[in-house]
Amino acid sequence: MTLLDFAIGPALQWSLMIMIVGLCWRVVGVFLGRWRRDLSRPRSDALVQGGLRAIITRSAPARELEKNIRFQHFTGYIWHIGFFMTVLLYEPHIDFFKSILGFGWPGLPSHLVVFPAAIALAILVMLTIRRMIDPMMRTITRPDDYLSLIIIISALITGLMASAHIGPRYETMLALHILNVELLFVWIPFSKLAHMIFWLLSRYRIGAYFERKGVKA
Amino acid sequence: MNLALIAIDQLQEDLGALAAKAAPTEMPDAERVARAKHVFMKRMSIGLAMNLESCIDCGMCSEACHFYMVTRDPKYAPVRKLEPLRRFYRRELTPLRWVNRLFVRDISADELREWQELVYDACTACGRCDMICPMGVGISESVHLMREGMAAAGLIPSELRAIDQEQREQGTALDVDRNQFTAIVQELATEGVDIPVDKAKADILVLSSALNLRLFRQTVASTAKIMNKLGVDWTMSSRCFDASNYGYLSGDYPAEKTNTLRIIDAATACGASKVIVPECGHAYMALRWGGANVLGERPPFRTLAISEFIGREIEAGRLQVKPIVNGNSVTFHDSCRLVRHGGLLKEPRIALRALGLDLREMESRGRTAICCGGGEGGNVIGRAKSLRGQAFKIKMQEAEDTDADSVVTSCDSCRYNFITGGAKANWNKTIESLVELVADNLA
Repeated sequence: MTLLDFAIGPALQWSLMIMIVGLCWRVVGVFLGRWRRDLSRPRSDALVQGGLRAIITRSAPARELEKNIRFQHFTGYIWHIGFFMTVLLYEPHIDFFKSILGFGWPGLPSHLVVFPAAIALAILVMLTIRRMIDPMMRTITRPDDYLSLIIIISALITGLMASAHIGPRYETMLALHILNVELLFVWIPFSKLAHMIFWLLSRYRIGAYFERKGVKA
Repeated sequence: MNLALIAIDQLQEDLGALAAKAAPTEMPDAERVARAKHVFMKRMSIGLAMNLESCIDCGMCSEACHFYMVTRDPKYAPVRKLEPLRRFYRRELTPLRWVNRLFVRDISADELREWQELVYDACTACGRCDMICPMGVGISESVHLMREGMAAAGLIPSELRAIDQEQREQGTALDVDRNQFTAIVQELATEGVDIPVDKAKADILVLSSALNLRLFRQTVASTAKIMNKLGVDWTMSSRCFDASNYGYLSGDYPAEKTNTLRIIDAATACGASKVIVPECGHAYMALRWGGANVLGERPPFRTLAISEFIGREIEAGRLQVKPIVNGNSVTFHDSCRLVRHGGLLKEPRIALRALGLDLREMESRGRTAICCGGGEGGNVIGRAKSLRGQAFKIKMQEAEDTDADSVVTSCDSCRYNFITGGAKANWNKTIESLVELVADNLA
């Protein structure tokens, strides 16, 4: 078995399984906790609307709040968009999804996907440096933050190298990229990257919590 | 020096003395940690767990926090204030605790001592960070759980601890007892303000607060004038007149429960259908939102803040006010507990508009209002005075930017902080109470 065979075979199956089972366990584990029913008389009963509203409105904070976080806000948007464009619109990635899901979708030419990937990479490097030099960010940073950044950055770098045929021979580079992505899959449930699920739950929850008090969160 | 400042000086002197009198809570370090952990475990809920699972350490919460914004000191990052709780959660409760225990340090008594300043002096649980977090983490409610853990570990700051002990053991706060309350009622009667006290049955039980009675007794008179003008069936209780809840502020849940049940019992005894909380944000929070949860069921009355009651009565046409001719321009300060955590955005503005005032809104208002810096018990902590004063400057600037002649608020703690902070900064803005403004202009 070559490294590439291992990467697209058992490593892929196991990493996906760990990610799915781990995420399910992490989310279910939270919901197995104590449900504290709020007995106070609600000011509003529209908790579902409040929760759903917060899922959307949290993406665009009020102007008086946003003006202080403009850098984080927009860099956050740009790198996420760049990253997901790369994941979802690069044709070899679409072929991969097709092999699992049974269907695909139109992609972007390879030379165009390089740009969002490179922009995402540049922003992530910038955010990592900011985390290291900004005193407040350094204070709140945990090993999880750096590890998550390193794993995503290296996935982007290996991907760009493989697509540009830079580094070791193509099959080895591709295997390294796939193994890196699989490391990301395994890391997700153990890290803050689980926010790929929690952002929805948590935004909904805060929206409903404040809606109960008659406040649009 | 005006009367309020003299009373405030006296109060601050008394607080200093009270702090020295606070009974020490000595215990071995291991017990402090065990007690804090026990409370974290006992009070944890799905919602709080969600908060602790979802944070991505982005630091955006810092840019909504007045303490961080004014000092730029990293230790005041809101999410950092939760660090002991987060570590406890990751080691003991998260579904992945068995992995985390290998890497995450346990909390220590020294850390809890260090965090005392962060969760009491440098956080008013105002919840502005709750509004900015892209993940929707409820930081302020998590800080409250931190306070509960600190209280169990015997680490409430001494001034707050002294008042908490006084209220829990004697039923009074800031030395305002039944005799003083009665004396104030009698004094107001000589000024022509009638306050019905200890009626066996009444439709409305009106509360005051220790801070109210010590610093702003005119507000008590104003409340009485409004109630009498409405002709409603109301009373105050000489045994239970204080809405303030220092157990809630301290994170001392057993004391919070005792204080809340005292009010619920008094209201139930006189058959009140409404309890009116004075201009006091935390008192509203503790009774309006906490009362039912403490009791285990909804109490047989509705809790209204006085500003809420006034706004509704004006809106319904039952309370008429005279528009203030050539009235000055005003800006309204939203108390965090009444507005962001209470939903009372509309009611005070109904009153201000009925008074015909030129209302000039601050840039941050309603759900995004900046805290004045002195709520959640912070204004009784002596060592926090300087930090509080710095944080107040952000609020002062926002109020100044409106170019309004005066600031109106409906929370005594905020008013206290505006007066003390303003005096320190030589800021000559008039600070007014909504209730007094309405009472002075009844039609």
